[in-house]
Amino acid sequence: AAMRSRAEVDATLQTAKLNPAELLPAVHCLSFGPQAGGGECCLLQLEPGLCAELEAGRSLIIRGEKDEHAVLCSKDKTYDMKIADTSNMLLFVPGCKTPEELNADQASCNIIHSQIAGFSKNYWELRRCRPKLKKLRKLLMEDPYEGPDSRKDQASTFSKYTTEDLLSLIQASEEEILHQLQVIDACKIEGYWRILDFDYEMKLLNHVTQLIDSESWPLSKVPLCACLEELGSLEPREMIEHILLSYGRKYVDDGEVFFEMHEDKICRAIAQMLLQNAVKFNLSEFEEVWQQSVPEGMTTRLDQLQGLALVDKSSRPETIFLLKVEDLPEDNQERFNSLFGIREKWTEVDITPYIQDLCAEKQTVGALLTKYARSSMLNGVKVYNSRRPIS
Amino acid sequence: MVQIVISSGGTGALAQWVLLELQGEVEPRQSGDLAGSLLGDLHYTCEGVPVLIVGHHILYGKVVQLEKPFAVLVKQGGASQPSPVGAHGHYAVTALIKTKLLFKTRPKPIITHVPKKV
Repeated sequence: AAMRSRAEVDATLQTAKLNPAELLPAVHCLSFGPQAGGGECCLLQLEPGLCAELEAGRSLIIRGEKDEHAVLCSKDKTYDMKIADTSNMLLFVPGCKTPEELNADQASCNIIHSQIAGFSKNYWELRRCRPKLKKLRKLLMEDPYEGPDSRKDQASTFSKYTTEDLLSLIQASEEEILHQLQVIDACKIEGYWRILDFDYEMKLLNHVTQLIDSESWPLSKVPLCACLEELGSLEPREMIEHILLSYGRKYVDDGEVFFEMHEDKICRAIAQMLLQNAVKFNLSEFEEVWQQSVPEGMTTRLDQLQGLALVDKSSRPETIFLLKVEDLPEDNQERFNSLFGIREKWTEVDITPYIQDLCAEKQTVGALLTKYARSSMLNGVKVYNSRRPIS
Repeated sequence: MVQIVISSGGTGALAQWVLLELQGEVEPRQSGDLAGSLLGDLHYTCEGVPVLIVGHHILYGKVVQLEKPFAVLVKQGGASQPSPVGAHGHYAVTALIKTKLLFKTRPKPIITHVPKKV
């Protein structure tokens, strides 16, 4: 189509009975570009922070298996994606100036011929979501590391995963994956991420706690060098250091590396070791054995077991059993179904450790309970049960 | 798992475009596709109100700074692109849109004067 002239524009203004004196001098004559109807362009609505990512030259990645909902990942966040339809037509116009820009640039042409690059009635909408990290643990649990003496490792036909492998299998951003690897105490062995077999982990921990005891070191100042020297003949040095990092806080004092041991984490691991051997335990018997099993100077408390074990106060005698939050479903509704299948009515105190990880960015446990549970009073205490009948 | 990369050339490579939001459909006057055909004239009043003349209609709109900007993605063809993550598709960010011209008011029809034959 021929480009419009100033005369034609003015004639149109006259026909439209618009007063040129009330308008800025510049006009944009809009036409559809050659590629406009091609559907090559689409729109992605950007959540806060993503615009800056793109302006910095960083990429975003859409990830998903064919049967999963797609997610979009930046370097450190994950978003659910969906197509939002508008009833309006959205046209994208390069080189189109706003009134401010026209006023600022007094020398701008009188006629700006702008070509519409494309149009759409929909766009991709994003919503920040929890990264889908349950799969990470599942993958690493396929082949837990049992130590260098394990014959299994040499003959292993199981998949082992590098960081790149994990990025191509898990719907999460790289930083979220790396952070979770730290949270679950994974370690890199020969370039692959591994989780320790629990028995091997306890064996390593036991070496360390026995050494602390025999050397009478304070729990807050365990020297790395001495540990490596004393235990280096029993286990690989990397494993000794790894167990210290997993169960302690590393710091440097006067040029030497020490660890402040996490009392709570050690007590919790020992509890897991005891509880995994039976379906449930008499609570008071368990508490006695547990206190005796932890290193000298440590005190056991039931609140160390949040998200790991559950006390049944309704049974006589009271019992305790292993219930690990990481073994429960990742999806909100499925998680609540699972919990209500285990126990019909929950107090907020008991259920919180098992739903805390479901909270979205600014969501509270209370909000989750309002959405997925129904409350009632039982013996003067507020309890939550399922909104739907559980078969 | 499918991985689709959305790559960006950074601030230097990203143009700033504007979104025009119109009600309803846009159809060509003559038959044939839209490519190449005129849409209309976009003016601004001295107060900065956008005025769009499309066919026989005048549309008054407003300039809106988008709370959530848009990225315009263009699909990249070429299966022979080497990529580190084994990407199964590639989009490039061509432009960012931080402003839209929203035309929500009902179009005012332009009544053209039909000249009488003398």
